[in-house]
Amino acid sequence: MAIETPTEKLRVEPPPRKRRSPLYYLRKVFVWVPLAALALWTIGPVLITISISLKTRGAVFADPGLIPADPTLDAYRDVITRPGFREAFLNSVLVGFGTALLTLVIAVPAAYAFARYRFRGRHLLLLFTFLPRLIPGLGLMVPLYRIAVAVGALDNRLTLIVVFTGTILPLAVWLLVGFIQQIPRDIEEAGNVDGTSFFQRIRYIVLPLAVPALFTIGVLAFREAWNEFDLVLALTRSTAARTLPYELFLITTGTGLANNPGQAAFAILTLLPFVFVYLRIEKYIVSGLTSGSSK
Amino acid sequence: MTDTAQEERAVTPPAPRPPRKGLFRRRRAQSGPDQNALIGHHKLTPYLLALPAVLMVLVLLAFPAMYASWGSLFATDSIGGEPFFVGLQHYIDLFTDPDFLWSINRTAIFVVGCLVVGMTLATTFAFALNKALGGLRFLRGLTILPYVVSGVAAAVMFRLLFNEDFGWVSRFLALFGIEDIGWFINPTLAMFVVIVAQVWTDLPLAILLILGGLQTVDPTLLDAADVDGASGWTRARKISLPLVTPQLVLATIWFSYSTLTALGVVLALTGGGPLGATRTLPVILYETAFRNFETHPALAIVVVVLVLNALLTLTYFMMGRRFDIGDS
Repeated sequence: MAIETPTEKLRVEPPPRKRRSPLYYLRKVFVWVPLAALALWTIGPVLITISISLKTRGAVFADPGLIPADPTLDAYRDVITRPGFREAFLNSVLVGFGTALLTLVIAVPAAYAFARYRFRGRHLLLLFTFLPRLIPGLGLMVPLYRIAVAVGALDNRLTLIVVFTGTILPLAVWLLVGFIQQIPRDIEEAGNVDGTSFFQRIRYIVLPLAVPALFTIGVLAFREAWNEFDLVLALTRSTAARTLPYELFLITTGTGLANNPGQAAFAILTLLPFVFVYLRIEKYIVSGLTSGSSK
Repeated sequence: MTDTAQEERAVTPPAPRPPRKGLFRRRRAQSGPDQNALIGHHKLTPYLLALPAVLMVLVLLAFPAMYASWGSLFATDSIGGEPFFVGLQHYIDLFTDPDFLWSINRTAIFVVGCLVVGMTLATTFAFALNKALGGLRFLRGLTILPYVVSGVAAAVMFRLLFNEDFGWVSRFLALFGIEDIGWFINPTLAMFVVIVAQVWTDLPLAILLILGGLQTVDPTLLDAADVDGASGWTRARKISLPLVTPQLVLATIWFSYSTLTALGVVLALTGGGPLGATRTLPVILYETAFRNFETHPALAIVVVVLVLNALLTLTYFMMGRRFDIGDS
């Protein structure tokens, strides 16, 4: 680390170039073209979908421009007043927040145990990181459906919350362990000296310091529950528990003339909750995602 | 981990030995009020804390997998009938069923296609993002946009994008005189569209993984190569790329895992059509279990998917280890 510093300084102040060779501009192109492609690739499909959602059915064909000549929110109104959408939206919200909450409630104590104690079975943590990779949600569809039928838990929001928590839990615990290990042990020991109880230490020392991690994990769990499709397909039968992706799937596979603006509006509406947190969470999500996956 | 443990041992004063009068007595002594003040003192505490999470993962992940393996050995005469043992009959049926073999073929093409397209794009984008400085950093934030889009919503977007009448891809190609492309009618093109849509949803994680690796590459190495006259291309290929091999392997694992088990995008985009061109394993699993209600054969497909997934992951880990050893 100490050796790096002088080099860093050198890199910050490059010798001023007077003439720029054509090669310099060629190099710039090699960076700019992929970056432009990345921007187009990422945001293009979303922009076009937004554009279509703001048109009428006829205008989709007649007015192919990106910016609608005569923008209208009719498609959104149709989707929102559509039977099934409100139930699905409510289900998604409840299941999303429920999953986030349950994940945190179960992951925090487990992560604290794995991070702070040496105990037999501590190596289960490794199993934690491997299991979800070995047993994907698709593999769970049929067995969980069978089990849910057997115990009468089909078509129930609580079932979805519990199942989603189970699938996101390994990642949540793994992320939290890394984070809690970074909280200096000394602070807690200082708390010991001052006579705090175990729960006081968790409540007043660990949790406040872990707020960014808790936020990240809450959002990850929410996203998992909000966007999950396979398991919703398997475990729900009616609007009682069906969430948005399944509802959208039903629209797209419905018979009759395709309502393009309606589908587009629906797809955009499913992104709604992330609009509010996107900018704030971006940093956390990025660090959380990469650290979680690269182990 | 070992360091902290030693530290803990050093800090913890030796507990006063309780009078040895049976197990109960000793445990009482350990859970006394002042014992609570020391981290990790009560033997049961960590177990109690970890229990709910471990139990939940075992019940919701491990048990269903075992249930699937066991259930795939049974069959019923009718829906809801009494199951009886048939051994490996379902597996024999599957691997002699042309439909199933066809779906294996489709899955292979789908996974390999996604890997090729995905890894190429992810590596290119990650290298470019690594060079994006200043005001261009916002692109990094933009990259995670597909991550919050569900597979079904992505399918809707790509169906609009590739629409034959007003889709932007079709209109763009029409500029070059290529018209009337049946994206969802031609089997090869349909597979291509599904691959592109699936890659779109999976790319953010792969890009961020590789980017994370690139940012740890020691700049002095690149500077040294620069001084020695290596071009940017050479530096990327001979220095950065070998150094991010672990991240490339992880991204590859991520892609194959995600595409092998991808149902939402495929089902919502093509539903397995046209002419079964995109009937991958997940689609056939869904149809067997939830359209034909043949639960036990479906459980056999589940086991096949799990085994394939495990084999792929294992292969990449072996490859990754070999590369790591070869480098050092």
